[in-house]
Amino acid sequence: MKPFGLAEPASLKDAIAMIGDADSGVRPIAGGSALMLMMKPGILQPETLVSLRGIEPRYSSIETAGDGGLFIGAMTTLRRMELSADVARHAPVVTQALRRLSNVRVRNIATLGGHLAHGDPHLDLPPVLIALRAKVHIAGRDGERQIDVEDLFRSYLETSLDSGELITGVTVPAQGNRKSAYIKHTTRSADDWPALGLAVSFSLDGDVLRDVRAAIGAATDIPQRLKSVETALEGKRAADALQGAGDAAAAEAQVHSDARGSAAYKRELIRVFTGRVIRKAMESAAGGTI
Amino acid sequence: MAGTTTTVGRSFPRMEGRAKVTGRAEYVYNLRLPNMLHAKACRSTISHGRIRSIDTSAAEATPGVHHVVTGADICKVLPEPFYGPAFHDQPILALEKVRHYGEPIAVVLAADPHVAELAAQRIVVDYEELPAVFDEVEAMTSDVIVHEELKPAGTFADLKHLAGKRDTNLALDYHLRHGDADKAFAEADRVFEHTFSTQQTMHTPFEPMIAIADVRNSAATVYTSTQSPSFVRYELARLLGWPESSVRVKTSHLGGGFGAKVYVKTEALALALSMIAHRPVRLALTMEEQFYTITKHPSTFRIASAVDKNGKVTARKCEVWWNGGAYADIGPRVTQKSGFTAAGPYNIDNVSIDSYALYTNRPPAGALRGFGIPQLVWAYESHTDIIAREMGIDPVDFRKRNILRNGRMQAVGTVVKDGEFEAILDELAKRMDWDKPFDRGSGTVRRGRGVAIGFKASISPTTSSAIVAVNADGSCIVYCSTVDMGQGSDTAMAQIASEVLDIPMEKIRVVNPDTDVTPYDMSTLGSRSTFHMGHAVRLAAADAREKLLALAKEIGLPEGHNTPVPELFVRKFGMSAGAIIGSANYIPDFTPPNYSTGQSPNATPFWMSGATGVEVEVDTETGQMRILRMINVCDIGKAINPVVVETQISGAAVMQLGFTVSEEMVIENGQLTNPSLADYRIPGIFDMPSVMESGFVAADQQNGPFGAKGVGESGTFGVSPAIANAIEDAVGVRITKMPIKAEAIYRALCVKQGRELSDD
Repeated sequence: MKPFGLAEPASLKDAIAMIGDADSGVRPIAGGSALMLMMKPGILQPETLVSLRGIEPRYSSIETAGDGGLFIGAMTTLRRMELSADVARHAPVVTQALRRLSNVRVRNIATLGGHLAHGDPHLDLPPVLIALRAKVHIAGRDGERQIDVEDLFRSYLETSLDSGELITGVTVPAQGNRKSAYIKHTTRSADDWPALGLAVSFSLDGDVLRDVRAAIGAATDIPQRLKSVETALEGKRAADALQGAGDAAAAEAQVHSDARGSAAYKRELIRVFTGRVIRKAMESAAGGTI
Repeated sequence: MAGTTTTVGRSFPRMEGRAKVTGRAEYVYNLRLPNMLHAKACRSTISHGRIRSIDTSAAEATPGVHHVVTGADICKVLPEPFYGPAFHDQPILALEKVRHYGEPIAVVLAADPHVAELAAQRIVVDYEELPAVFDEVEAMTSDVIVHEELKPAGTFADLKHLAGKRDTNLALDYHLRHGDADKAFAEADRVFEHTFSTQQTMHTPFEPMIAIADVRNSAATVYTSTQSPSFVRYELARLLGWPESSVRVKTSHLGGGFGAKVYVKTEALALALSMIAHRPVRLALTMEEQFYTITKHPSTFRIASAVDKNGKVTARKCEVWWNGGAYADIGPRVTQKSGFTAAGPYNIDNVSIDSYALYTNRPPAGALRGFGIPQLVWAYESHTDIIAREMGIDPVDFRKRNILRNGRMQAVGTVVKDGEFEAILDELAKRMDWDKPFDRGSGTVRRGRGVAIGFKASISPTTSSAIVAVNADGSCIVYCSTVDMGQGSDTAMAQIASEVLDIPMEKIRVVNPDTDVTPYDMSTLGSRSTFHMGHAVRLAAADAREKLLALAKEIGLPEGHNTPVPELFVRKFGMSAGAIIGSANYIPDFTPPNYSTGQSPNATPFWMSGATGVEVEVDTETGQMRILRMINVCDIGKAINPVVVETQISGAAVMQLGFTVSEEMVIENGQLTNPSLADYRIPGIFDMPSVMESGFVAADQQNGPFGAKGVGESGTFGVSPAIANAIEDAVGVRITKMPIKAEAIYRALCVKQGRELSDD
């Protein structure tokens, strides 16, 4: 790996001031787990890394609003999130997803902000956060803005962050009695990046599904909503709609063959796991402990 | 030899355990020498081609670069720069041609490793790309020729006839004929034939290969993470034309080896670079570079059996093609030494085996924990299971009807002695409750179970030498060149010396291999150390014990005296001084096989065997397979250290599990696409079977040291076919290609249901 300089600003404002354009050679580093994989073979060769570890503690904290909404600072490690009682209470699907996200050594250093800013589709939390209608907080030289998580991803490894912008945190709105689940499928080893991740969230009106959110990761170029699945399920009883939802998902998702499986196989997986993730959500407790 | 023992047979903690877990163990990778330069290689980006030119100007112009070295520069210091244990076919740096992706072409030397790396990236190689061959069966008849001429090393008498052979990719063919297979097939009630294949994998030692060479005037010192210090000394001395006493090879504990670090790997290049730079040179590979250096043979195995109506196998025909990659390394030995067991641990009167070592344009293949045996067992135990199922015979029962028992002649012509093949199969069946009903699951989750058994002969003939010194204070030092690469050999050797000399373990030290200090050993490979070096240490310790008795007699002590050892030295030398030195060479008896028939009445000093049973669960909607339970039972003779034996068995089984279900080197368009742990997936903790047992049967290797024999590989033998057999038991599909991925199972299920999944 090429040697690089390391800056350690004490505030978010200073960090933003240091980070230049994408081609300036000055790049931010949070946990660095993904960054190092790109720097070791020389795919990325920054002159200077701006470490975000020293910025204000608020960006490493998890805060709970009165209604059960969560703010999770971008520098919170995945392991802190996994062990957080507040996350487990208000968004148990996040805790479940984290337990099998890579391995504990990675979770100990990887951060929520880095996980999202990396823009790699083969990650677990983007589809989960999309299904939960979470928002990303972004700060830059021109101030702050918020966008839906689903609007963060543009194309493979490309996000809608402007150069000089940093993710500062994520808010997960109060889930009330909504039911959610996430299922992933790895094909090479248990702690491999997934070949497919599927998340779903909905309210139950008796046994009818309302306000459905479905999202896919890993198998597609970017994590994204599966609107045809949402339509297929909306206002239906789950038992009546599983097959149609699976077929809709397999038809909608644009998948490619790669080292984790052929496109044909991935479509079969999407069909099967769409039904399973909906059933898993039906069986899950709404809120509360996991 | 197996009488009552006090130290041997007890589970002493590993001697190096505390140093390792506290981060204080010595590894060559951590060594730094004063005034040292770092070497970084520029490697081939194609699989086969002629080198038109190498432009080193930009690299040379990089500030901080000391030297840029090409193959032509190597020839100036080592005029015949070819190495290899079986064939002298591998150039230290590519000359004229590259034969595999990742082959080293040039090297940059700099005091700063980052400068060396950057400059190496600035070397521009112009190639005339040539067609390449990657498949071992195609290589038999391909127009693509990897080496224009075969260059066997002089060390192996049975390879001499290959010298000068041209225009072939066949490095070695081995043939065995036992009985009359053609006649038995003609008369058979049933005939079965199947073809199986395995993929290219890598050892992934976590301490990558590393050598630091320091050549000064007429002496060379090489610090290296090697399993073969004596061979490295021999080979470097040969390249230099120097006596072996002028080459010193030192090693430490290894961060894993598994066969990757046998023979010469980084050492010859480091040596040449130090000669050019006149400074110590450190050549440390990355994990990525290990994929370009040595791998496990891909293989294709066509196997046919003739069976009578009682389920007795009357004949077997085996054709095995071994994909040795671009350089032979020890591949020809795999072809032959493992080839003769290709029919399995069965009592078969008529056997025909043809085993072929092929050159291809893949990275070289060599020894990897099992020396070809796991590839063979994959085929013959899958095949055996299919036969049993098709004939409606219980798979364990079918194996027992055919199992090779002690006193019977194996196909190679050697009578089996102390080979507990049936006992490990019985113990496995017992531990698996094979006779009891089994829950087969329901709905989309189906369960099945399978067994497999494999065996291996020790590689012969090989020699080990040892020195055992008793110090004047009664403590003891063992000098041997067996490398402790994690298998616990230091502890085993200390236990043997302790047993013979009645010196407590805490007073025994085992010296790290250093060819100026520790005597010759063939290599740490093929599960040979416990048997061969165990004997050498035992005999050296016995020699020291005799000398102590002689010393006691000399100073006038009566027989049966109980004078403490330190007192003997004081009485003899007037103070605590002097030393008693015991030494020994050990080589077992061996008869080389006849070239045309492959027959030998004494092919091996001992037989190793391992049996695996698994229970699996298969998701019929996704093909996903989970191992609920895995049991490995081996014949290891008598254990020197039972806990170390158990961990050797489980470690071997987990390694083979990775090769079975996930690990695979992928070559696309002549490029290796996944040379990293991110994309070449080895098993993690969640890939382990939910329940795992490792055990061994009561046995005695009568010609072994204290009844012991080797164990490092036996846990690998049965794993792959046991899993495939269990999958068929669960869902009725047969996988014949490794690795067994979920998609392969799913696709087979689709075919079974009469619907083909598209290939996109």
